[in-house]
Amino acid sequence: MATAWQTRSILGYESETVGELLRVEGLKTYFFTEAGVVKAVDGVSFVVNEGEPLGLVGESGSGKTVTMLSVMGIVPRPGRIVGGRVFFRGEEITSKSSEELRKFRGRKIGYVSQDPNSSLDPLFTIGSQLMEVVREHFQVSKSEAFERGVKLLEKVGIPEPETRMKSYPHELSGGMRQRVAIARALAGEPELLVADEPTTNLDVTIQAQVLDLLKALERELRMSLILITHDMGLIAEMTERVVVLYAGMVSEIAKTREIFASPRHPYTAALLASVPRLDRKTSLTPIPGNIPNLISPPSGCRFHPRCKYAREICVQQVPPLESIGGGREVSCLRWKEITLQEAA
Amino acid sequence: MGEPLLRAENLVKYFPVYQRGILMRKKIGDVHALDGMSFKVERGETLGLVGESGCGKTTTGKVVLDLEVRDSGKVYFEGQEVHETLTNGTREERQKMRRSMQMVFQNPYGSLDPRMTIFDIISEPFVIHGHVPKKDWEDRVYSLLKQVGLEEYHAERYPHEFSGGQRQRISIARALATEPKFIVADEPVSSLDVSIRAQILNLLQQLQREMGISFLYISHDLSSVRQVSQHVAVMYLGKMFEYAPVDEIFDKPLNPYTIALLSAVPIPDPTRQMKRIILPGDVPSPVNPPSGCRFHPRCPYATELCKKSEPELRELRPGHLVACHYAEKFL
Amino acid sequence: MTAEKKQARRSASQWAVAWRRFRKNKSALAGGVIVLFFIFMALYGEFFAPYPPRSFACLYQGCTDLPPFTNWAHPLGTEPSGIDVYSEILHGAAGDLYVGVAATALSVAIGLVVGALSGYKSGAAAAILLGVTQVFFVLPVLILILLFSRIFILLVAKGLALTLIVVILGVFGWPTIAFVTRGEILRIKELEFVQAARSLGASNTRILFRHILLNVLSPIIVLSSLLVAGNILTEVVISFLGFGDPSTSTWGLLLQEGFLYVRTSWWVSLFPGIAVVIAVLGFNLVGDGLADALNPRIRE
Repeated sequence: MATAWQTRSILGYESETVGELLRVEGLKTYFFTEAGVVKAVDGVSFVVNEGEPLGLVGESGSGKTVTMLSVMGIVPRPGRIVGGRVFFRGEEITSKSSEELRKFRGRKIGYVSQDPNSSLDPLFTIGSQLMEVVREHFQVSKSEAFERGVKLLEKVGIPEPETRMKSYPHELSGGMRQRVAIARALAGEPELLVADEPTTNLDVTIQAQVLDLLKALERELRMSLILITHDMGLIAEMTERVVVLYAGMVSEIAKTREIFASPRHPYTAALLASVPRLDRKTSLTPIPGNIPNLISPPSGCRFHPRCKYAREICVQQVPPLESIGGGREVSCLRWKEITLQEAA
Repeated sequence: MGEPLLRAENLVKYFPVYQRGILMRKKIGDVHALDGMSFKVERGETLGLVGESGCGKTTTGKVVLDLEVRDSGKVYFEGQEVHETLTNGTREERQKMRRSMQMVFQNPYGSLDPRMTIFDIISEPFVIHGHVPKKDWEDRVYSLLKQVGLEEYHAERYPHEFSGGQRQRISIARALATEPKFIVADEPVSSLDVSIRAQILNLLQQLQREMGISFLYISHDLSSVRQVSQHVAVMYLGKMFEYAPVDEIFDKPLNPYTIALLSAVPIPDPTRQMKRIILPGDVPSPVNPPSGCRFHPRCPYATELCKKSEPELRELRPGHLVACHYAEKFL
Repeated sequence: MTAEKKQARRSASQWAVAWRRFRKNKSALAGGVIVLFFIFMALYGEFFAPYPPRSFACLYQGCTDLPPFTNWAHPLGTEPSGIDVYSEILHGAAGDLYVGVAATALSVAIGLVVGALSGYKSGAAAAILLGVTQVFFVLPVLILILLFSRIFILLVAKGLALTLIVVILGVFGWPTIAFVTRGEILRIKELEFVQAARSLGASNTRILFRHILLNVLSPIIVLSSLLVAGNILTEVVISFLGFGDPSTSTWGLLLQEGFLYVRTSWWVSLFPGIAVVIAVLGFNLVGDGLADALNPRIRE
């Protein structure tokens, strides 16, 4: 572990003037279902630096949500972490007890999920849900918790926050609910906010509001952000580094600009080529085939059945995640030989 | 260009909102789903219909096909009024109209009957319309499957054995089985994975090229609309705010809502970050639309005039219609 | 690129998949075995019964009131009145099966039609049907049966024939089926594949029969199984209370006869009681198993 880190810095990993916030090493999370073992996350490693918003991008089955749920220790049954380690500010959290993890969640890492309708309990007022989190992590009186709740609502831009504390979730619109969900994630004053597809179910103009809010919060609260999404547009706008996931494994890690300008993994390139753009009409090149079955994934490189550069070796060997200089990592056996089309 | 394939005039559709009383229920208002929509779709072309939730785009699609009966207005398909034909026409006329206009739905997991094989699903139109003799069914089904990029042996399987993208293809194959001239595609790719969307979008364009089918492409995903449409109409709260050829509406929009909408879409290119216009407030509910121009509460340029009077659609450039009192500002 | 080939595959129809899931469920299989055994008993039990139904033979043979396990000829003992418990249990199975299945079939037939009509159509007719369903639903069936039977006995001086019980149970048991049918139809008709059928130009009849009803069947099948169990129990109660048919063998009748001697000749109550419990349990397990197996969330 320590050796790998040193090796990376020898190879020219961006020297940090900022601290490393989260480190995931070889994470494996499997789901033990009736139909078989679903290898949802099968060896994922990446690092999140302070103040550097990270994007976790992938399609369904990529393992992006399960990865973050594993980090926070809330993988639903029948899943569980079967391998790897996670470190937060150097402290290993995969070895923590569930009680310790519980205190950790919300206080160090906050989570906003995709659906604002189901993440807020319809039976309780917004105020009580916010106060619940505040009092969970801080020893404060009810009135103090109420005040903090009001401030949180202010921070996320909800008008008339005192009155809103007494509202129920269904009285608010989707965009408002998502803001409340963000407020609740911030209630524990975490250092890291994980936003899982926070705008997928929202209208475009409301999405803009929420994204704007997230950016403002990053600045004001000096909070780091992990954005989980399948939308390359969001990645381009909101993140500075990207981890591309496919079928439970990492395809590529690089700075956002680099990923778009010169992707090194065939999946990344194919993904970029298949996405329509608003600013001009392009010819879309779809990726043939389908997302693989995670119970019996393809041998070797999981992308090989859909990759136009695949060779024998890709079927036989699982490509390791290699560091290729400049802080970039790729898991492709042939990355040196193939020249990928520029995405733009 | 000649007569357009489809012409909609002043479509109005309200949905009543009820409150349950003790014995009866009482109507307390209406959802103004459509409040005077007019547009046309040319032969062999795609009209993209965009807007956010509650704007009425899905209702438009259903009203065009008479799956929802409009309250007033008319829809002309090849010169014949759709609702009239489907209610009062002869059986032959009714069947012919149904065959010519088809729909592909948003949800690939709900739009196929889970208890039918793919063969049954695709051949159901043959059963209903009888326009294909039974001995040819197998050949037709197989050729339709191939046309949408599936294999012959898929015909004996059941919907749950397929992925979302494949199911959408099956839906398209079913729609094609009637040899339609016009297809309403209601958010056909929204439920699909990003890399699969391109497959379906390309398929739609291919069908248009090869078979001359016209599409009404309904979507909230503006980027995909740009891909497949020749003309685009922007809707807001049951009204059409802007209509123009595709490049013009995306590059030179004239309605403040359109401009804000376009600026809100993230572009997958970190070097091109647009300046965002953030609209305040929420997308309003269509139950009680604002007075005057429906957009005035959120519009950064709204004036007293906008509060009082609803702007008419005006042709500011050839083929480019806008409903805004101050559209000239953006020329 | 993995190419899928046309191969001999296991059928993936909903029924085949459901059957496979059912098979894997141990308690469902146990219930299935019980039910099959019960049906076998009902149909062929008479060949295994040494005595005909309601036979007081022991009165003349001097083998009345025998405790169980003492005599091979009467393994489960005899009643003080001379009836052989073992034979009666076998004969009773037929009576209870008849009531259970026939009443359920009647309820399902009525319930499906009423539920379908009130669910698919909207308007006055549907509202009326719904009202009728609600009224029938709240009627206390048991009380009505007892009342009716009392009147019947007074008028005709005979207990209710089994068939009459079947009719009453069937005629008052349909509201549950109707409600479920209606609810399912309301749900399904909004599903997109129904809209798709309409856009294709399918007639209402076709939509109702081809698309909606088939999809409604699953919960109805489950309900039916549970309804059979319920009807059997109701019959037992009716006969136990003395309102049943004293000339046809049923387990309830046995329980009624045994009640008087429950302290001394306890076997007359115990064994039929066990039979009832096991049969009802069997149908319930099957119902549960079916509910699980027919659950349409198939590997999505």
